[in-house]
Amino acid sequence: MSRFSKTTHHAVYRWWSRMVAMTGKELRQLSRDYLLVGAVLFLFTLDVMMAGGVKMDLNMATMMVHDADHSQASRELIYRFQPPYFKFGGEILNQKEGIELLDQGKALVVLDIPPRFQHDLIQGKPTSVQLQVDTGNTVLGTLAASYGGQIIGRYGFDIALQRMNITDAGLASVPMLADSHRVWYNPNQKDAWFMPISELLTIITVLAMMLPAAAAVREKERGTIEQLLVSPLTPTQIMLPKVVAMTLVILLGTALSLGLILRGVFDVPMKGSIPLFFAVTALYTFAMSGLGLFISTVSRNLAQATMLIIMVMMPIILLSGAWTPPEAMPPGIRQAMYLSPLYYYIEMAYGILLKGAGLKLLWDSLLGLTLIGSAVFGFGVWRFRRQFS
Amino acid sequence: MNLHRIKAIIYKEWREILRDRLFLSLAFFVPVSMMLVFGYGIKMDVENIPFAVLDQDRSAMSRDYLHLFMDSRYFDYQGDVQNERELEPLLADSKIRFAIIVPPRFQENLLSGRPAPVQSLIDGTFPFRTATSKGYVIAINNAFNGKLLAGFISKKMGLSPEQAASLVQPVKLELRYLYNQELKSIWSIAPAMMMFILMMTPPFLTALGVVREKENGSIYNIYSSTVTRAEFLIGKLLPYLGISAVNVVILWFMAAQVFGAPFKGDPLFFFLASVVYDSCTTGIGLLVSLFANTQVAAMMITVVVTIIPSVLYSGLLVPIASMDAASQFEAHLFPAMYYTDIAIGSFLKGIGMEQLWGRAGALLLYTLVLWLVSYLLFHKRVRA
Repeated sequence: MSRFSKTTHHAVYRWWSRMVAMTGKELRQLSRDYLLVGAVLFLFTLDVMMAGGVKMDLNMATMMVHDADHSQASRELIYRFQPPYFKFGGEILNQKEGIELLDQGKALVVLDIPPRFQHDLIQGKPTSVQLQVDTGNTVLGTLAASYGGQIIGRYGFDIALQRMNITDAGLASVPMLADSHRVWYNPNQKDAWFMPISELLTIITVLAMMLPAAAAVREKERGTIEQLLVSPLTPTQIMLPKVVAMTLVILLGTALSLGLILRGVFDVPMKGSIPLFFAVTALYTFAMSGLGLFISTVSRNLAQATMLIIMVMMPIILLSGAWTPPEAMPPGIRQAMYLSPLYYYIEMAYGILLKGAGLKLLWDSLLGLTLIGSAVFGFGVWRFRRQFS
Repeated sequence: MNLHRIKAIIYKEWREILRDRLFLSLAFFVPVSMMLVFGYGIKMDVENIPFAVLDQDRSAMSRDYLHLFMDSRYFDYQGDVQNERELEPLLADSKIRFAIIVPPRFQENLLSGRPAPVQSLIDGTFPFRTATSKGYVIAINNAFNGKLLAGFISKKMGLSPEQAASLVQPVKLELRYLYNQELKSIWSIAPAMMMFILMMTPPFLTALGVVREKENGSIYNIYSSTVTRAEFLIGKLLPYLGISAVNVVILWFMAAQVFGAPFKGDPLFFFLASVVYDSCTTGIGLLVSLFANTQVAAMMITVVVTIIPSVLYSGLLVPIASMDAASQFEAHLFPAMYYTDIAIGSFLKGIGMEQLWGRAGALLLYTLVLWLVSYLLFHKRVRA
């Protein structure tokens, strides 16, 4: 009995020591490729930082004005188009010039104020102004139209109140909605929170697939896999250290990114539990590395593997809600999102970092990720082991 | 330069590509699948925003008001809640993105000529969608206000409802959407996707093709042969450029036919400009391949130098004119921006050579510089 336990103890020890040795080998191999280490570092730090510079909101959109009235009223209207949304680009003399500027992308919006604008306003006649919007980029076009509409609506409303001699104090006796808007989780609507987090999650996805796949394919391409096969290592002992080593690298990079960039530069609130975030990230990385391993089994060289990874990665990112939230997806695709591991990971990552959600709310996403993740990882491992038999 | 030797290199490279069937099919299949995924998957139209309602007034007027949201195609009604505390878990779990609260005495306030407060809570996770949703809410509130005010005035001043309405809204806004009247986001995404895909795939193909020779040592055959540096580089790149040129046509066809983006510009100019852009991105791949010694490194560096600038500095998300001076300067350093203008201009705006020659020229210059630098950096003799 004791003899038996001694041998199992021995076997367990040997198993672990081999795992540790192989993980060390993977880490050392990675650290010798300076260019690769540099690229990974860049992605986790500067790249996440640069993503924070991208603002999806309308930002200083150039507005040109064709003012055929040149009155106090028209000037007041123009004056209301202010930064941060708009900036006054100058006056133009005719409509044709406006179209040319829009064609060349030198203006996003052209405001056209008709002659006798002020005259009509004073006379109480209805008048209209025209706003031409470049919708070549629909996101910006929609926002510009929406903000422009709000400005002009507010202007008209103020004129109406003036005309009816209602002062600000008098407003208290007018039946109106007094609307207030509260934006949760990101009160100032800082893109500087959303974009870097989204970028970090994308980078984790890319690396979690690429690094293990590359580590596995490289052995095949260079022939060193033969050496490993004649060693006493089992396929699992060849494969798992690659996954573990790359997961370690990714967790380290994530920690760097979280501390240095997200907290250090952007002051992301990090409302939830950080250990939970790392646990979830490790689980996700494992799941995605399963996909990477699967790809490594079907490709003979890294060029093939890279193209395959790009092809698998794009739908996963897209179906995750990183760029488009689920409710905006067409019905069929919406169901397909439940297949993307990144979908669950993103729910949890935003939930933990921005909304302060805990396991009580996120358990269903965690369950989803665990199920999909184990299926994907199991499949990858099965394929990887099978290629040696 | 010896044309014969260039041909030989092209032939060798082409044979190698042909033999790697998986790689060859992926070279065409990846751009197509990216175009499909992005085209069908990226939805920039903000619609069907899930929302919940807390109606503490439960009057005829509050129901009328809330129906404006329920009937809007922009909003997707998820149900009523009984108190404000119920809203928080719904928002945190992303079951709803927006909630509207009508406090008690809403109708009473309005009927007795007093302002009535309402409150909206909006999930701020996706800032662009938050801004757009807020715009919708304000527009609905303004419409409701306009009616209230017109009713109030017509009663107070004894005007007809029409007169009152024009008094309340003296300035009408005529909105004209240029280039994409129906605001179909796919029309602007499809040409921009050509920029993105043609920025990503050619460098990958090229960088991996060259570094593979370095990594498995077959580059020594070239080093020891009579082939000159220029001949090797040209012969090596042309097959990849050829693949990318075919991809231009495929992607172009998909953008126009599958996604229905109207092409209004000059086809010849657009094709030539696209090929120049391809040679430029191929050149980026070449430059990367000269620095990297392993394929993994080549891959990662290509990700870094292509994807990031083409998302951040291409005008895809942010118009160049809206950036601060530093970002504008950086944008001008990357080729993506020039090609975005060419693609959107050729597709939606219907402009050609006359307006876009400057951008095409910039791409050409970029290409020449990249190829020249690569030529100067490429050595047949291995440095110790």
